[in-house]
Amino acid sequence: MLILSRRVGESLVIDGRIRVKVVRTEGDVVKIGIEAPADVPVHREEVYDEIQRNNRDALTNARPATLPKLPRPAKSAKP
Amino acid sequence: MMTVADNSATIAETQAETPVSFPLGLLGFEAYKHFVLIHSPEEEPFGWLQVPEDSRLAFLVLSPFCVVPDYQAEISEEDARFLGLKSPGDALIYNIVTLRPGAPATINLKGPIVINRETMVGRQVVLVNAAAYAVQHPLPADDSN
Repeated sequence: MLILSRRVGESLVIDGRIRVKVVRTEGDVVKIGIEAPADVPVHREEVYDEIQRNNRDALTNARPATLPKLPRPAKSAKP
Repeated sequence: MMTVADNSATIAETQAETPVSFPLGLLGFEAYKHFVLIHSPEEEPFGWLQVPEDSRLAFLVLSPFCVVPDYQAEISEEDARFLGLKSPGDALIYNIVTLRPGAPATINLKGPIVINRETMVGRQVVLVNAAAYAVQHPLPADDSN
């Protein structure tokens, strides 16, 4: 892993198009600002990992004959 | 920020098989840029997001409002801009259901799939209010019979 030191207010430029700025520090919390193009998704790692894992578990290669039965909705969804 | 309201009525208007493009793929499936959204009357309210190249591969999806009627999907400005959403009514929202042998199925309420219903471009987003919802929210059991 590349490790660089930055002061508050200083930034990194990645690939000429992504800017990562140290905005401020509060104890062991570091506030980071990220400017990235719209096609570069930015996620907190633990949230990304959890959703990615869930997606992997959810992908089926055999559709079940029966699906879970949901309770009737409280409001009438179908006329 | 934009909050998408209950759109379960509009889901029924979508065609039985609708191509949806995901320029960024899904989380962990970044290479999967195209899916087909499939609805059949006998499987309502569930639908499938199927990989066109391999019809066996699919995600089971469901409107979150079938599970949590007051679901609040707060979508970031960045995600709304990426999808070209001008108003909450432009968005269709589906959440991925995980079937578990011998255990209750769950629905991912933290990272829904949001689709611009005009362009049928979609993205799996992490809600601004993600902390309010679980990735593995149990589907309610049908206790009516």
